[in-house]
Amino acid sequence: MPENLIFSKKEIAFLRELERQNVEFMLVGAAAAALQGAPVVTQDVDLWFEDLKDPGIQTALRKSGGIMVPSFGQNPPTFAGDAVKLFDIVLTMHGLESFAQEKKNSFTVRLGTVDVNVLNLDRIIASKEAIRRPKDLLVLPVLRDTLRTLSWKKMKDAAPKTLKGRKG
Amino acid sequence: MRLSGDNIKKLCGVRNLSLNALLKRAGVSKTAYYHLIDKESVLPRSIDALAAALGVRSSALLEEADRKSRRALRLLETADRIAGSDPSMDRDNIRHTLLLLEEKPIERLRRSLLRARKPDLQ
Repeated sequence: MPENLIFSKKEIAFLRELERQNVEFMLVGAAAAALQGAPVVTQDVDLWFEDLKDPGIQTALRKSGGIMVPSFGQNPPTFAGDAVKLFDIVLTMHGLESFAQEKKNSFTVRLGTVDVNVLNLDRIIASKEAIRRPKDLLVLPVLRDTLRTLSWKKMKDAAPKTLKGRKG
Repeated sequence: MRLSGDNIKKLCGVRNLSLNALLKRAGVSKTAYYHLIDKESVLPRSIDALAAALGVRSSALLEEADRKSRRALRLLETADRIAGSDPSMDRDNIRHTLLLLEEKPIERLRRSLLRARKPDLQ
């Protein structure tokens, strides 16, 4: 299965269990941008959770063999263990509305056997424009060009096709 | 599959080019050109043999390469049109995005993750 080329069986099991537990989460960040066609690279997959205290997260972690390391000092909470180390926890998307609001700006992608919500590229850009970390500023021109390319293609695909060579 | 001298001359005529001018532009010597024209087949013998074994014309085996090339050209033309509509855009970003849009989302993510990982150096 194609999903196995990206995610290990344990990682897939974790995502599937989040889905089964009805945990509200969505893919954000560079991985979400890449899914939409942005030519960017990333080392991890950012998951934005509506409520990190959702017991479904702990159930999914327990079933897949991962753990959550609570925040300490300046460090946000993180996942640990083979099943979940690819995933980064996102608590807040700077510059955006609440999770529930932004869910309206997401779409569903089937990754192998798991359905996941993915935040729209324009909202990822809005967040990066708000947070303005050096790494965000570096990738922003690429994301903006991707968004413009998508818009251009969408407009062209929606335009009625002209029939060449036909008269009247 | 033979090279057609007639077709080449016709195409030159349409483009208002002499055969000499064409050869000069293409960097092909007269000797090489006439050598090709005289050959029964410009394709390596093995391609003709494969086609014969399959009972098809040699051109049937070349179709895929042509299609890929046409697709690549169409993609470049689209990238040019998009870049032309907004000069602030980077042509490489457009081209890479168009290439990725031809893939399924999961494949796009796979590339993004794999390319971020360092290969093992031996």
